[in-house]
Amino acid sequence: MNIPHAVKRLVLAALAVATVAPALAQEPPVRIGYAISRSGPFAAGAQTTQEPNYILWADQVNAAGGLNVQGKRRKIELVGIDDRSEVETMVRTVEKLMTSDKMDLVLPPWGTGMNFAVMPLLAKYGYPVIAPTATGRRLIEMKNPFFFPILQQPDTIMRALAEMLAARGVKTVAAIYVDELFGLENISALEAALKAKGIRILEKKSYPIGVKDLAAVLNEFKSLNPDAFIGVTYPPDTFLVTGQAKQLGFNPKIFYTAVGAAFPVYRDKMGVATVEGVMGIGSWNSKASPASKVYFDAHVAKFQKEPDRWGSPHAWAGMQILQAAIEKVGLDRKAIRDYIANTEHDTLIGKVRWRDGENVSTPGMVLQWQKGEFEVIWPPDRATAQPIIPKPEWK
Amino acid sequence: MGLLLELAAGGLIAGGIYAVVAMGLNLQYGLMRIMNISHGEFLMLGAYLTWFAHTTFQVNPLLFLPAAAGLLFLLGLAVYGLCFRRIVRTAPSLEVIEARSLLVGFGLMFLVQNAVYLAWGADLQGYSFLTQPVEIAGARFGANRLLVFGFAVGASLALLALLRWTLVGKAVRAMMQSPTGAQLVGIDTGVLHPVVFGAGLALAGVAGALLSMVYVISPSMGEPYTVTALIVITLGGLGSAAGCLVGGLLLGLVEAFGMHYANPSFKMLLSYGVLIAVLIARPQGLFKR
Repeated sequence: MNIPHAVKRLVLAALAVATVAPALAQEPPVRIGYAISRSGPFAAGAQTTQEPNYILWADQVNAAGGLNVQGKRRKIELVGIDDRSEVETMVRTVEKLMTSDKMDLVLPPWGTGMNFAVMPLLAKYGYPVIAPTATGRRLIEMKNPFFFPILQQPDTIMRALAEMLAARGVKTVAAIYVDELFGLENISALEAALKAKGIRILEKKSYPIGVKDLAAVLNEFKSLNPDAFIGVTYPPDTFLVTGQAKQLGFNPKIFYTAVGAAFPVYRDKMGVATVEGVMGIGSWNSKASPASKVYFDAHVAKFQKEPDRWGSPHAWAGMQILQAAIEKVGLDRKAIRDYIANTEHDTLIGKVRWRDGENVSTPGMVLQWQKGEFEVIWPPDRATAQPIIPKPEWK
Repeated sequence: MGLLLELAAGGLIAGGIYAVVAMGLNLQYGLMRIMNISHGEFLMLGAYLTWFAHTTFQVNPLLFLPAAAGLLFLLGLAVYGLCFRRIVRTAPSLEVIEARSLLVGFGLMFLVQNAVYLAWGADLQGYSFLTQPVEIAGARFGANRLLVFGFAVGASLALLALLRWTLVGKAVRAMMQSPTGAQLVGIDTGVLHPVVFGAGLALAGVAGALLSMVYVISPSMGEPYTVTALIVITLGGLGSAAGCLVGGLLLGLVEAFGMHYANPSFKMLLSYGVLIAVLIARPQGLFKR
């Protein structure tokens, strides 16, 4: 009976070595936590623009040997938790990640409302965050030193749109907007910007989230015959107004929608021919630089889907900044904050610098679908293509 | 006058969509008192199956309609066998069936939603089908919306005829009025009950398949449809096939005119306003005797 006993010991010893050895050879991982919507109404947006970028970034850094933290290579361990699109769940989860789980860093949740809710925690526990999907003056007015929104602000976006419209001789506009913080802030920014350029708003109408039919409004707009249609819309409605405008034959010289126009699924669902000439909010496409193409291809290879042309590049830029900060100053969160606040960063979306809590380097832009790509057409110094105006007939 | 006609037509088409959404739940809740709160999730499942078949195997969504109905029907039989058979058998009254099935429905809601998240992810999905406009008397409508409207009217009338004039319909109505009495006169409720439930799910699946031609789809799309369905069948009168159609159309009309003359943001106010008005005037719904 001695032999089995010896074997057992041997196995135990081998097991012990196997578990201890890697720990001895490797530095502990950098633990980064986040709560994000994987289910519920925010999931579609979060899974299009944000979480894939977290995963891709951690994958790439780990494949290259890990983060360089003060001379030591440390792998990234991502701890992502579904917040079910509930603010309460998100706040509770993030607080747990910061306190009992003692995460080295946290990443932001998805959407303006969620980020608004997480901001007090960031200040309370001193976790810096670069938020790629939060926009609104209200966020900046909070003057939270740990919160860095990297998206353009509504007034910046709408001013760029008004400049483009004025440059193209647009005189009249009809607009719809979603009855929610995003829509309200953008429509008032739009009104101010259009007024400054002497462009008239013939009619503006609000609509509720989850609307299933806007034919009545679009028919009315059609009879007003405006030069431009501007929809301050959310993703499902962006699809809705596009489909219904096509069916009603409402085809103004300029047709603009807001969130969702930059999603590849917008082109895929509506059809390349249908979206030809449609404009919308965005920041980027893979033609912007050689690095952009590399990022785009890596995203497609990993997830079998393209990154969108607005939130995704901002999310990626945020990860680039965070990585640079860690490799420069280590994991001291206050030092990371100061680095983010006081440095001009080189990113996928160009230079980024924060002043008074706002990214003042990325301009408002107008993009337009042309032959299956969302091309930057305004401002001229960022343009990747010439605008097609008037918009061709719906196909 | 042209504008009025256009608004009316637009409202009717939107109403047809509401009626289609409500038909399946009308069978389950209206006739059997099974409060299937996961109705919208099965509708979503029908939409995903159609989208998947179309984008992966290039199946024409129209031809897939019977397949969606069949698959959801079989799933309905399985769900009934696993979840609802016991409830129906052990519940002392219809009210108890209602309360208990509500809890089961909540569970199913999470199950189905998360299964779809696992299978296809949370992204928005969609395809383009019959998006061309159709011109009728100078007004333009989407071909896919017209199709949904046509189906709503056709299916409602068929269901109405089935329930009113056939032996099966009579048996279903008898079963609803008195399960025990129905058994006494030789109706095999052990077969009929799961079949009606399965038919409800099949209708939900077809509604989802039709909606996937019109709207962009996501795993969380179902819940609002459950609410719409509840409003429509309450408006029309529980279990009434004609009520379901008229309730849907009424809702669509009120919203279309209201949104035009007031503001689209009042949509919710309008739909609940109609519901409250009908409930005050006719608490049993428009078509319930």
